[in-house]
Amino acid sequence: MSAIDAGLIQAGLGLQLLLAVVAVAAALLVSPARRSLTVGVISAALAATGLATGIAALLGAPGSLSLDTVLPMDALTLSPDRLGGLFMAVVSAVGLIVCLFGMSSARGPAASRTAWAAMPVFLVGMQLVPAAADSVSFLLAWEIMTLGSTVLLLADHATRASVSSAGIWYSAMSQLSFFFILAGFAVLAAATGGTSFSAAGSLEPGSAAANLAFVLFILGFGGKAELVPLHVWVPRVLPEAPSHVSAAMSGAMVKIGVYGALLVCVRLLPEAPAWWGIVIMVLGGVSALYGILQASVASDLKVLLAYSTTENMGLIFLGLGASMLLRTSGATGAADAALVAAILLAVSHAAFKATLFLGAGAIIHSTGERNLDRLGGLGRRMPFTAAAFGIGAMGAAALPITSGFVAEWMLLQSLVNGGRLQGDASVAASVAMPLAVAVIALTAGLALLTFVKAYGIAFLARPRSAPASEARDVPGLMRLALGLGALTVLTLGLVPGPIAQAVAAAVPDGSGTVQVVGLAGVGVPGINAVLDPLLLTVLAAVVGIPVLVAMLVSARRHPARISELPWGGGGSRARPRMQYTATSYAEPLVRVFDDVLKPTRDVQVTHAGESRYLVERVTVQQSVSDVFETRFYRPVLQLVQRFGIAVRQIANGSIHRYLTYSFVAFLIVLIAVSL
Amino acid sequence: MFDSIYAQLVGLCTGALLLTSALMVWRHSLLASIRLLGAQGVALAALVAVIGVQEQEAELLLVALLIVTVKGVGLPWVLAHQSKADVRHIQESPRLNPTAGLLVVTLLTILSYVVVSQLVGLGGSVTSHAVPIGLAMVLIGFLLLITRRRARSQLIGFLLLDNGIATVAFLTSGGVPLLVEFAVSLDVLLVVLILHVFAGRMRTKFGGTDVDLLRELHD
Amino acid sequence: MNVLTDVTATDVTAEVLPAVVIALVQVVVFVALAPVLVGLIRQVRARIEGRRGAGVLQPWRDLRKLLAKNPVRAADSGWMLTAGPLALVVSSLVLVVLLPLVGTISVAALPSDLFVIVSVMLIGVVALALVGLDAGTAFGGMGSSRHMTVAALVEPTLLLSVYALSIPAGTSTLSRIVGSRLDDPGIIISPVSLLALVALIIAIMAETGRLPVDNPGTHLELTMLHEAMTLEASGRDLAWLEVGGWLKLAALLGLVANLAAPWGVATEFTVLGVLVGVGAIVVKVLLLGVLLSVGEVFLAKVRLFQVPELLAGSFALAFLAVTASYLVA
Repeated sequence: MSAIDAGLIQAGLGLQLLLAVVAVAAALLVSPARRSLTVGVISAALAATGLATGIAALLGAPGSLSLDTVLPMDALTLSPDRLGGLFMAVVSAVGLIVCLFGMSSARGPAASRTAWAAMPVFLVGMQLVPAAADSVSFLLAWEIMTLGSTVLLLADHATRASVSSAGIWYSAMSQLSFFFILAGFAVLAAATGGTSFSAAGSLEPGSAAANLAFVLFILGFGGKAELVPLHVWVPRVLPEAPSHVSAAMSGAMVKIGVYGALLVCVRLLPEAPAWWGIVIMVLGGVSALYGILQASVASDLKVLLAYSTTENMGLIFLGLGASMLLRTSGATGAADAALVAAILLAVSHAAFKATLFLGAGAIIHSTGERNLDRLGGLGRRMPFTAAAFGIGAMGAAALPITSGFVAEWMLLQSLVNGGRLQGDASVAASVAMPLAVAVIALTAGLALLTFVKAYGIAFLARPRSAPASEARDVPGLMRLALGLGALTVLTLGLVPGPIAQAVAAAVPDGSGTVQVVGLAGVGVPGINAVLDPLLLTVLAAVVGIPVLVAMLVSARRHPARISELPWGGGGSRARPRMQYTATSYAEPLVRVFDDVLKPTRDVQVTHAGESRYLVERVTVQQSVSDVFETRFYRPVLQLVQRFGIAVRQIANGSIHRYLTYSFVAFLIVLIAVSL
Repeated sequence: MFDSIYAQLVGLCTGALLLTSALMVWRHSLLASIRLLGAQGVALAALVAVIGVQEQEAELLLVALLIVTVKGVGLPWVLAHQSKADVRHIQESPRLNPTAGLLVVTLLTILSYVVVSQLVGLGGSVTSHAVPIGLAMVLIGFLLLITRRRARSQLIGFLLLDNGIATVAFLTSGGVPLLVEFAVSLDVLLVVLILHVFAGRMRTKFGGTDVDLLRELHD
Repeated sequence: MNVLTDVTATDVTAEVLPAVVIALVQVVVFVALAPVLVGLIRQVRARIEGRRGAGVLQPWRDLRKLLAKNPVRAADSGWMLTAGPLALVVSSLVLVVLLPLVGTISVAALPSDLFVIVSVMLIGVVALALVGLDAGTAFGGMGSSRHMTVAALVEPTLLLSVYALSIPAGTSTLSRIVGSRLDDPGIIISPVSLLALVALIIAIMAETGRLPVDNPGTHLELTMLHEAMTLEASGRDLAWLEVGGWLKLAALLGLVANLAAPWGVATEFTVLGVLVGVGAIVVKVLLLGVLLSVGEVFLAKVRLFQVPELLAGSFALAFLAVTASYLVA
């Protein structure tokens, strides 16, 4: 049996590489008319292979693929463990629905030869990072992933200036991440004398090398996982990329950053000192709060989703950090539960965020608008998209019967239980846990507002612009992708037991953390908590059916009267511009968090004629910028630029000056040697 | 009998002390702050009395009586006495908005908890568990001193600080000697009276006691 | 005390039956009680203000009237105006089933878990906010926006205050918390418990749209939070929205009552115990209603932008309660 399994993994990995090559070749060769369909199908097959391989690895199938290189180093080894298999399955699943959506939605530059050739490269890179068993193949796959995503992002650069700017930010931040990760692996390799991951276990915990490697890795993977303050690329890149590409980036690529952090904290450097956990918790908590605050005041749908990604990644890191901290203070049960919760959050985020970005893609496809202030009334015009987006939004707001709820419930339970430590509880843990609960609660509350706003403003009420009033629902393939995404969100939320159990088995010593109880519910014996969403749904149905029957009966007796002009606030409701917009919806929040968001307001009053009292028009402009960008990155960049200008004086292109430099250097070396 | 509810009573008194301190940061109006200060004095006296009954020391009960008269009734009366209608209208506009102020209060409380447990350990006895609250009161008093603009509101902060020091003293050593406490209380009363007179003079002379504005006197 | 062994217990019927009966009793009692509670609150207020009042049963009469009317709906409103009231009522009913009101007996697989209960409540909050947006009017959107802002800021207080209460009990299951307070009433007057209860009460006042956060009897649109969202609803849509809101208020008051004074709650399943439980909770909820009403006479609605201050205050109390529970415990 295991021999077949081993062959399975090997074949799966090989097939992924092969399909990627075929897809790139097809993108370059097939005629434009059939390009989207052909490459889309091959890429989908690539993703499906990754999904199957990942699931096999998750269930414990061993197997590896070695690739010899011409370079004088060890062979590249791909050998996914359970955790790697889980993440391979997650990114592949997102890749699959993204390909389905992209086949139908990609138009113009997004369907060009380059863009379609980059897609399989991006996918195969993401799918192979979790399979890597040594640092060289990890870095190689990582770079392939980054390359593919950069090319995909830049697809539209010729027509929109904002895309090139986003591309520059993205490249710079990606290279920064890569540099940190490379340095981290270099430190590890220097300390242990090998590039294989299994060699890293010999590093002494708490040593200077381990601490240095940890900091470098967290900077690198945190950058990829959009943690504050390394998140600045997110609100530029995710909105500017084509929607299916942003779905893949936010749903899948960001998870690779999470995988990297897990790899470091769980597998490479498992015995972490307490301060590592605290550092990760602080990073995560700040990211969660800042991300959701920015998301809640954003009126661009894709910017909103992008910042919400930062929030979710923050929560995942909060869970990871809490797990590390709890482990050092001896609360093993709560620590295991927090770790499983963090991974579950990653899985569920992949499902709902991919669905939401694809939903945003569907809206853009139908209306050409992504500004919420110009949308509205899409629920009646695009019912299918509305339903899928609604389910995704419920997941993002962590409401019951969706995947987000299960993950957040488990995280909160583990924190509450961990904070309840008695006896020799560490002070850090007993202070950090209530703080973390408060951060998560505020984040969850703001997430609720954010997604009520996103859904309510876009899909309910009346259209706020002409394109929105003429919207039609998207064609079949896009609906299929949206439906699959929404279905996954619901499935993960309704029958979380088996999935949580599989996730728990993927972490070391975690197989007993989660039990399946009741109707596929989750039971966590370590913290004595149980959740059965299906039973909860049955209960809601039991109490809901009498109400529903009463409603239907009274609807038959007293049918509703449709009126063009009901109460409407006492006045004419003829103009849709009277409605609340996304900006006005978030206005109270902007005021409450004025000190954090630092919005710029500009009020211009035009007076009618000579009168000081009669006002003709009032123009109010308010914009919220990213504080980290304006207060941190801009000054640094300016400093660098000034330095660059200064350096230009030294290197002004004159050959004589360069020769003089060389000569002086030569003299200095000679003198230094002679001393 | 008394032993069983002793811990609860100490907890209740220290809880009241902390609560009144937090409320002082919350409320803007001077009159409310003065009333809270009075309530805090009573809570402090109750704490001393509870410890006195437990330790069976009559001297502590005397101290409690003293505290009630000076901190519970005397000081608030002095502060609120001068033209009560005037005090009623004073609304502080602190430099820190109250929401942020309250969050800072929670952080200061955690900090004092961490500091005390790290430095001296919380120990086993009921009273030593409550020491962090005294330290938190001192810190909150400082916070008020820093963030309040008006001289009289700053006075509240100063008195809160004094209460905090007294709380720590009673909880750690079972109280300062009667004579010292008496002297300190009178001292504080004197300081308050002097400051009060000064503030009144300044107000009549310069029309306000906003400390930021007083910087102009420098020139 | 292990939940998981309870779930796999062989004798399921003996375990499930009492819980189902208690749940059924709770639903029946609270559906009957909620309108009376609201009527009582209004009546007491009217009497204190020197008016005669419409009588305790007026909400019931209002409901009957509204249900017999043809609702008028805006042309642009969609399915949300139909589904929203249903979701709100169902969420309130699930709340009534799950909370330990008449008795602390519940199905082991479906414990009255704090986080589940808060999330179920949030479904109702979201449904109401979406109903407010549905018709596409300025006031609906305004109410919805303010309602969600308050809900977002209340959540930390809500979770932390119950978290503080859960520390001495060692569980986040509400029925166990109530049970442990019944076993050891000394906990109730501990400072942790008092701080947490005050914070919880402020949070619940904000959550159910009472003074000083929202004025339930307002006639001025600009001061409305809750009412602004239901302006466009009429007939049975309005009736169900009202029922949902009243049920939520009654259930949450019941929770506060049982946390503050747990006596009378049925911990074991006997006919007498259940009857006592019903009587106790009815009396407690109505008493709290009267207290609420008297309290509201002396309160004015605070400005919207001072609400965050109030909520931050309650958050500070809840947080101090949690940290204090480590100090004093």
